Amino acid sequence: MDFQWDAEQRAFRDTVRSFLAENLPADWESLAHGPGSESQSAFSKTFCGALAKAGLLVPHWPKRWGGRDADAWTSFILAEEMWMAGEPRGGQYMNVNWIGPTLMRFGTEAQQDRYIPPIARGETIWCQGFSEPEAGSDLASLRTRAERCDGGYRLNGQKIWTSYAGHADTCFLLARTGIGKTGMSVFLVPMDTAGITVRQIPSVIGEGDIHEVFFDDVFVPADALLGAEGQAWEIARNALSLERVGIPRFALAARMLRRAVAALKKADRYGHGAVEQSARALAACEAARLYSYQIVDQRRHGTPTGPEASAARYATVMAERLVGEFVVEHCPDALAGGDPLLLAHHQRAIVAGIASGAAEIQLNLIATELLQLPREPR
Amino acid sequence: MDFTLTSDQSALLGALDRLVAPFESKPIDFHGFALVGSDLERELTEGEYFDIAQIPEMGALTAAMAVERLAWLPYTADIALSMLVRPHLPGDWPRPLAVVENGRPGRFVATARTLILIDGDDISLAQVTPDDVEPVDSLFAYPMGRLKRQPKATKLSAEDAATVRKWIRVALANEATGLIQAAIASAVEHLSVRKQFGRPLGAFQALRHRMAECAVLSGGVRWLALQAAATADDGDAALAALHAQDSATRIVYDLHQMLGAMGMTLEHPLHLWTYRLKALMSELGGRGGQSVAVAQHCFA
Repeated sequence: MDFQWDAEQRAFRDTVRSFLAENLPADWESLAHGPGSESQSAFSKTFCGALAKAGLLVPHWPKRWGGRDADAWTSFILAEEMWMAGEPRGGQYMNVNWIGPTLMRFGTEAQQDRYIPPIARGETIWCQGFSEPEAGSDLASLRTRAERCDGGYRLNGQKIWTSYAGHADTCFLLARTGIGKTGMSVFLVPMDTAGITVRQIPSVIGEGDIHEVFFDDVFVPADALLGAEGQAWEIARNALSLERVGIPRFALAARMLRRAVAALKKADRYGHGAVEQSARALAACEAARLYSYQIVDQRRHGTPTGPEASAARYATVMAERLVGEFVVEHCPDALAGGDPLLLAHHQRAIVAGIASGAAEIQLNLIATELLQLPREPR
Repeated sequence: MDFTLTSDQSALLGALDRLVAPFESKPIDFHGFALVGSDLERELTEGEYFDIAQIPEMGALTAAMAVERLAWLPYTADIALSMLVRPHLPGDWPRPLAVVENGRPGRFVATARTLILIDGDDISLAQVTPDDVEPVDSLFAYPMGRLKRQPKATKLSAEDAATVRKWIRVALANEATGLIQAAIASAVEHLSVRKQFGRPLGAFQALRHRMAECAVLSGGVRWLALQAAATADDGDAALAALHAQDSATRIVYDLHQMLGAMGMTLEHPLHLWTYRLKALMSELGGRGGQSVAVAQHCFA
């Protein structure tokens, strides 16, 4: 067991930081309003293109797809630095974390040739069509239908709380082709297909992040199906396992905590209450960081990810919560025009326990799989 | 960064598993608070386990793993201070060790040969005889003792005092790790077998979620404690001790609640771990004291 970065890892982190210093505009921190915002989505296409040219967009991917087979630590160091900088990749972090790898695993050669190169060049945005008005945590109850027709499928239904849909070129869509968990399929759907309507949902988390997406008699050809009919549950579980510690939220949370403490110190307002609360929040960020590292280490060694991934996710939720509570109590001025960066972080921190599977679902998994408590009756 | 055990670490933990096998359960007729492990201590001494931190292939990190493993036992002895703090005392000081903080009763004080005397910012060391100390009855599940008279003490330099304080934090955090894990395992067993309303208590979501939160805290305490042992960084040590005390505060209360009336008895072993944690919660100034240290070292 070793808690130190090796020379190669330190050098890679320095490379990423140098890239950020050279490629983020001088006013970046006043522009950074969240991954789904208009400004950040537009910037992501320029930025990710440059990242790709520098070999820093998909280093963990296979050589065939533009990567260099770098290990799991490389991609996580990259993710830490990007998220900590306010995620200049915008919604494209999703592409490199799990959409690309999922296409590599389940896609046909034609699908891979069509969709993976634009991701590897950093010029495309995807959205994830999972949640529906009646299917949130209970994803298996989704209703959007995909009915076979001549040459393909007709899609009818509604998705909701869909991140990045307003700017997305393609939707990774879950739809029903039969009954139950084995009656769900994944479709790769270009968002400019006739019959798709996107509406942004006004939200507390900022502009551009969540949407309703309507599918009204949308025709997709048969080759839009990813994997086999009925394989969606397996594909989605695989994708979500890649996503569970995908975002190193603890890194930005800790950075924002330090920023808030520095502001309080400067204003001579870092009193005893703030000292205690900030220390507890930092400990929670550190716990989340090491938990996440445990999962990265499992991936690096090729060990199947266990219920510790749920614990890592929940530890991150706790950290975001404590940092958020600290800012609200001790730095309310930051949320009232005082600091756009603290504001942007605070807006989106609430997402931690909700997106990619509610925190309570993680607690259920921890109780059953980590603690081995008896299951709840169904 | 690598979270896999080295072969030396695996071998040591395997050897410890074999050594502690006779000490894994509480004697049925023991209904007290402090279950002292004199035989355990003798076996650890004979096996030279108290010196593992000084073995280059092992180091403080491996010693921390041993502290964690031994804290699972219902029996207790001065293990953490001897394994993790003693190597950092200036000079050769005999074990067992104990801490007397601002004159208060402390764990193992009545049987220690070396006392670490903390008075405000000052730390002194003293070798003591049985005439210097006496046992104290307490609610804590450690044998507690206090000074009868002030022994002749050697005051440490500020630098040495800071080092000792740091390693006491590391020792505290790693001992708390094992105690918390053992306490959770004990409650999980109860929740798995005790039935109400026709099903095991552990099948009720209200309890499952509280237990899951305890488990997440417990894992975090462990990672921070191991990291602090590995890096020997002042900030890491303060964070580890803070997270241990903070999490223990929450977990101890929840676990007794999980056991219902069984959690009020001395028949069930839960108190052997939780009432040790209660003793650890106040050390080095408790959460407030660790927070000040975190602010000093991490928010400088």
